[in-house]
Amino acid sequence: MINRINQLPTLRVDPANKVIFDYKGKDYVGVEGDTVATALYHNGVRIFGRSLKYHRPRGLYSLDGECSNTCMEIDGIPNVRTENTLVKQGMRVKEQNVKGSAENDMMGFIDKLDWMMPAGFYYKTMHKPASIWPIAMKQIRKAAGLGVLSPDFEMPGKFDQIFPSADVVVIGGGPAGMNAALAAADKGLRVIIMESRPWLGGFFDYRTFDYKDAQYKNSKPLYSRARELASKVESHANIRVFKHTSVVGTYTNNLVTGFQIGTENDKFNERYIEIRAKSVVVAAGCIERPLLFENNERPGVMQVACVHRLARTYGLLAGEKAIFSVGHDLGLEAAVDLFDLGMKILCVADVREDGQNPYLMIELAKRNIPYLKGWVASKAHGSKRVNKVTMTTLDGTISRDFECDLVIASAGLTPINGHLTLAHAKLRYDSHTNFFVADTMPEKTHAAGRMLGLEDSLSIEVSGKLAGLNAALDCKLMPQSYGNTEIDALKSEIDSFTAQSKELPGPARGSKFVTAPVKGRKSFICFDEDTTIKNIKQAIDMGFDVPELIKRFTSAGTGPGQGGIPGHNLPLYVAKYTAASSKCFSSSGSSSIQSLGATPKPTNVRPPLVPTLIATYAGSKHIMMKRTPMDEMQRADGGVFRKIGVWERARYFSDDFSCRKEIENVRNNVGMLDGSTLGKFRIHGPDALKVLQRVYVSDMSKVKTGRVKYSAMCNDDGCVIDDGVVVKLAENDYYFTTSTARAGATIEWLRYHTRFDGWDFYVVNLTDSMGVINLSGPNARKVLQKVVSQDNGASGEDASNKASIQDVSNEAFPFSGYKEFMIKNTIPVKAMRLGFVGELSYELHVPSSYMVSLWNIVKEAGKEFNIQNFGVEAQNVLRMEKCHIILGQESEQRTNLLDLGLGFLWDRSKKDAKTIGAVALRQAENDPTRFRLVGFEMENNGRAARDGALIVDDKVRGYVCTARDSFSLNKAVGMALVESHLAKVGTRIQIFEDECGGERIYGTVVPMPFYDPDGKRMKS
Amino acid sequence: MSLTITCPICGKRDGYEFRFGGEDKGPRPDEDGLTPQSWCEYVHLNECVAGRQKEWWVHKDGCGSWFTIHRDSVMNVEVATPEAHK
Repeated sequence: MINRINQLPTLRVDPANKVIFDYKGKDYVGVEGDTVATALYHNGVRIFGRSLKYHRPRGLYSLDGECSNTCMEIDGIPNVRTENTLVKQGMRVKEQNVKGSAENDMMGFIDKLDWMMPAGFYYKTMHKPASIWPIAMKQIRKAAGLGVLSPDFEMPGKFDQIFPSADVVVIGGGPAGMNAALAAADKGLRVIIMESRPWLGGFFDYRTFDYKDAQYKNSKPLYSRARELASKVESHANIRVFKHTSVVGTYTNNLVTGFQIGTENDKFNERYIEIRAKSVVVAAGCIERPLLFENNERPGVMQVACVHRLARTYGLLAGEKAIFSVGHDLGLEAAVDLFDLGMKILCVADVREDGQNPYLMIELAKRNIPYLKGWVASKAHGSKRVNKVTMTTLDGTISRDFECDLVIASAGLTPINGHLTLAHAKLRYDSHTNFFVADTMPEKTHAAGRMLGLEDSLSIEVSGKLAGLNAALDCKLMPQSYGNTEIDALKSEIDSFTAQSKELPGPARGSKFVTAPVKGRKSFICFDEDTTIKNIKQAIDMGFDVPELIKRFTSAGTGPGQGGIPGHNLPLYVAKYTAASSKCFSSSGSSSIQSLGATPKPTNVRPPLVPTLIATYAGSKHIMMKRTPMDEMQRADGGVFRKIGVWERARYFSDDFSCRKEIENVRNNVGMLDGSTLGKFRIHGPDALKVLQRVYVSDMSKVKTGRVKYSAMCNDDGCVIDDGVVVKLAENDYYFTTSTARAGATIEWLRYHTRFDGWDFYVVNLTDSMGVINLSGPNARKVLQKVVSQDNGASGEDASNKASIQDVSNEAFPFSGYKEFMIKNTIPVKAMRLGFVGELSYELHVPSSYMVSLWNIVKEAGKEFNIQNFGVEAQNVLRMEKCHIILGQESEQRTNLLDLGLGFLWDRSKKDAKTIGAVALRQAENDPTRFRLVGFEMENNGRAARDGALIVDDKVRGYVCTARDSFSLNKAVGMALVESHLAKVGTRIQIFEDECGGERIYGTVVPMPFYDPDGKRMKS
Repeated sequence: MSLTITCPICGKRDGYEFRFGGEDKGPRPDEDGLTPQSWCEYVHLNECVAGRQKEWWVHKDGCGSWFTIHRDSVMNVEVATPEAHK
């Protein structure tokens, strides 16, 4: 436990509010505002976890989650970045990838075996002979890796998604970003600003140095300037602020995506944000480039901003005796500030020969801090944490050891360019700043601030302002947005700021790329994947020359940190080493890259730029199902509902999922089913018939008034996509049904396949506005007769006409007939006589609003026959016994019309109609390799095979579509798609099931249909 | 989705509202004289241009109409119709 400095004005924690959390089963105390990492550090935890491959101890390094060092398991979720996660009351935190504990990991010995694991070792060993790999894999999986996710883990928490739009999106809430946001918002534009930390302020937020701004006569510290800007931004009516929000992707058309971590008051834990903007300002700032030396990731080695922010933001002094090895002025500033806060600083080594801020040099001298110019850390000592460091001159001639508990190491800065490159900016290496800078910017995108190499605080603010104004200009130049005078005024304002920025200091000279004069066996270029300098050299010596390939071969930069640690160093090192080895130079020392003639090429970055929970992308669990008008009544009748496609449907009406009672009731009496999910359409207009001829395989000109026609639709491969019935209402006016699953795509399909013809027709989707009652069973006519007779005689029609309408006898309303009538003079019914379940059966189509009334009328009329509900499963068995197909069950994507035995539907004479599927059907007609739909019964009274079971011999020969134990037939029957040589009646088929333990079950091909083959029942 | 598409009826909208309908390959050929080869090519083969191509889209969550646009398949942005196609 270390003491917290409670009185700093820069603090972002509230030391008065304690937060109790659990770490490895014990209670720990943090304070409000702490991240899990800072709270653990406060409690004395130094080793946070073990590394992926070598199980090296790892600790706090960057404080912004750029490496996996401090990833832990929190509340069951592995690989949580503890540096970015605020500690909460009752959190359960555990270390990961350790055997024992992070402090004493039994796998730690692997670190000594690194010589056995050169670059690409996974690719080169353990695959010959092939039998070795399964054994090796088990061991590797035990030893390597990060967190472990329990397979039955269920993600807790609430997730959400929002899709706002904005004129200008600003990425980064630092000084440049805030200025950009204010500049654009002051022009009346709607601005969104996104900041990854829970507060605005960026790298001004923790610094106490003077803000040197000529406009402000009274100088003030940077942090108060940051807070002044932040309060302006947060109170601006035109600016929407997203804090604790990481940007994970930027795309063409100025689309920006990210995720926000919710606060206690938010209704979400995390939410996905996708913003469509007219212009984008990227002011993402810089991160630090790791210094490469032996054991450069030993706990106790930290970056400058990590130590500085620990002190200033969290009130924690990271160590007692510190050594600095840095390459930029922020390092010198931190040394001065930390000295003033009470840290003992043994020396500050600087790799730069010149270019230091003279003011900082004076401050260092005032405090008697030894300053070593041209020195660098070459090796950290100490087995679990740093206890000594060797400092060396850049040429390696002089060395000196210092005992210390903290090494503050940073080679220089590197811009966060991912937001630009994802939007297709091309990067170029700039030898002045030593940055990769954007050569060409994406359209309507502007960069600002420190990522341009600016160091002077006023330059940074002005660059932000300029970017904001340029973004505003993008918006105002859009068609019909604004008048010319306004645009001219904006342009001249931009000119004046551009002139002003030229007076200010430009991009600062960056530190040259430096590696300590060591061999690099334990100099880590990538912490996540345990990749060393030595590994990179091995890869290059094997012939890899492109950083992109070296990245893959050594896996440097492929870990959770997404290249945050090696992103800059890898291409620089590759350029330096390849140049050096080609000229036989020593690979150590501080030679300038440019002078060696190699141009560093950055590796690609890809979204997500920051690890994102899949739960966040999934958003909230909206389960949106459609309900039929009969939903409530069927539930009241004991319906057991299931999700079927987009609908919730009553699948059963009892606990008996074999549905025996429901089935027997339909076969022997009368039942009713809610068929409202059926696709229902009306097509009319002068060219309506032409459309039907195009999409249906049958000759639709033969559809007769008063009759229904069953037909099918195919796709261009002849495969069946839909079946249903068509009714002619009038000339070029038809009513047709589609299967439930096709309803959503039907209009699109019709329009697509007529898109070149310019035909005049209208299609209306009536699926939701019409409901369907299916009335089936031998007593169905008696029930219907009672229903249609409930006419109170109020209509003016003459009696004989009415009598003929109300006549539902077999002669007046035969099988395949269609009739329209009114019930109680009110409910208009389209009635069809069909036989899907194989019995006398009527489909009554009525407007949805009348469904409940009609349902009650039918139920009331059926009472004397004891009418019962039946559900989708009973219907499935009934129609299967009759061998009526359901598309998607008796077919899959490759099943064509002929395979199903529905070839009789196809009219081959209507070539001019260019019917969809006709060409392919003609070509497939004599193809012996196609599957056939067959009926089969199980041998020896065996149980039905399961749906989807395979038909096999020594190979797979087909599969079972639907099979059930049939009560009507007293045996198990089913339909299957099989190779044509198995299709003959009498063929014995072998069925393989997952559950059968190698034992096959057998069936025999029998004629179809199984039930009432002559169709007497449904036709009489 | 970064893509935006201009529907001839509804105007410029988010790409989520549309469904892709394939490259523009012209009207359905006459059935006579078609070989399995030429039919298969019409139905299944695509140019897959890296760059500007003319393609069909449907405004599925809007007016439901089918129309063509020109799209740069590398940058995934809608581009202006070239003069020759107007």
